[in-house]
Amino acid sequence: MAAVAVHQFAPCITCHAWSPDRSMVAFCPNNSEVHIYKLSEDKWEQAHILQKHDQIVSGIDWSSRANRIVTVSHDRNSYVWNYEGSEWVPTLVILRLNRAALCVQWSPQENKFAVGSGAKTVCICYYEQENNWWVSKLIRKRHNSSVTSVAWHPNNILLATTSTDGKCRVFSTFIKGVDTRDSKAGSSSDSKFGQQILQLDLSFSWAFGVNWSPSGNTLAYVGHSSTIYFVDDVGPSPLAQNVAFRDLPLRDVLFISEKVVIGVGFDCNPMVFAADESGMWSFVRFLGERKTSSTGPKYGSQFSEAFGKLYGQSKHGINNDGVDNSRQRGGVHENCITCIVPLGEAGSSTITRFSTSGLDGKVVIWDLESQQDLLEYL
Amino acid sequence: MANSLRLYLTCIRNTLEAAMCLQNFPCQEVERHNKPEVELKTSPELLLKPILICRNEAEKCLIETSINSLRISLKVKQADELENILTKKFLRFLSMRAEAFQVLRRKPVQGYDLSFLITNYHCEEMQKHKLIDFIVQFMEASFHPLHLVLWSVVNYFKYYAFLWTY
Repeated sequence: MAAVAVHQFAPCITCHAWSPDRSMVAFCPNNSEVHIYKLSEDKWEQAHILQKHDQIVSGIDWSSRANRIVTVSHDRNSYVWNYEGSEWVPTLVILRLNRAALCVQWSPQENKFAVGSGAKTVCICYYEQENNWWVSKLIRKRHNSSVTSVAWHPNNILLATTSTDGKCRVFSTFIKGVDTRDSKAGSSSDSKFGQQILQLDLSFSWAFGVNWSPSGNTLAYVGHSSTIYFVDDVGPSPLAQNVAFRDLPLRDVLFISEKVVIGVGFDCNPMVFAADESGMWSFVRFLGERKTSSTGPKYGSQFSEAFGKLYGQSKHGINNDGVDNSRQRGGVHENCITCIVPLGEAGSSTITRFSTSGLDGKVVIWDLESQQDLLEYL
Repeated sequence: MANSLRLYLTCIRNTLEAAMCLQNFPCQEVERHNKPEVELKTSPELLLKPILICRNEAEKCLIETSINSLRISLKVKQADELENILTKKFLRFLSMRAEAFQVLRRKPVQGYDLSFLITNYHCEEMQKHKLIDFIVQFMEASFHPLHLVLWSVVNYFKYYAFLWTY
């Protein structure tokens, strides 16, 4: 089985992130707190609770080198947490947002982080040594709707964003004093902050979950119309491919190598997409086992019985009553998977372990070592 | 008749499975607020195309989706005045107890008899396939007693008409 470990932490998890040594996990249990659990002797114990936000925490990222956690929330605030002594100490980040923050990611060199918001802006925050706090620069007037996801290119300057207006855009986030002009990086270091490099108009519906390949050559993002888009050679003349699949839409994607992408979403089961030698992407298979539908229709239940089935008793079983039941999707996760995080070494080009968290409150660790047919794609 | 009901309900079930892909989405218009976008309708990019499923001219189902909420409106067959009155009373009885149902909307959408409003919070607390089962079984089971009541009323009048004439 590809799912190596399953942990039920809370009734519902919004997002999660792992510590650099992978012994601690931070997640938001669908409220305004961040819980950090530590793995000690095969048991998970609650280590810390970070309480500073007023509303649900929508994004968490744990930087691997500096051991800092950044959290953003629907209350328009963001905090950077540093581990001092035995406590996590928050530092407020002045985001200058007037709507909720939806997503956050540390840049590859961890000197900046990007925040996507419902104010149709993206904030790039960096640390100002003189004033000892985090300052933000905004990319305004480029998006027509909320920014749902952000992803950094490995060169620390390019940023890809997806939005509910269906478009994926790539911006340059060069900041004087923080980034250095590298002659090898070519055109990306010549551009100004906030300059739009590319706008991709491939999706008819909302776009979510953008991710760059380890080399930065390919970009992948999902559209709500059950399609995933792959863009090669991001630049003046990109090559785009649409892969439409027959199941429910995805929410997030992850490149585990140059040629393999894992997508997670409303199907409660990770989907594997791979590119063949000619560069054509296609759907390979589901990662987990799928539950088959229950026995044929038996005539209907009464009101109270039907209502009682919503909670409690049949939460973990398949009920056999009722006419033509809906099939419960996925095996390991019981509700939509919202977040996928790599578990390999930072900066490595191939990852075989990753973790997913979903609205069922489970964090599942997947390992591809046992999946022989997929290893040959890597 | 039972066959077309089965087809109608299967069609609604399949549409709901695709439409019930909801997620938590804070309001773009007002800060710190979280509202069902299908009710608000202020940001057209957040709404999807509504789908109307008609069984015949009198029975139909409208499914409207947005990024964080879903509205299902039903119109049931009312053959004559008596059925009309009975339906209205029965559905008003249900709507007044909408809080107990959680997914029921207090007032039906204009032009329909009954409406459900499902938000991302319902999908987080409850399982999606069970919610869909509930709605489809509701549609089946709730209009069955209506016909039973109707028949009992008709039989009552027949009996008393018999008593009076003979």
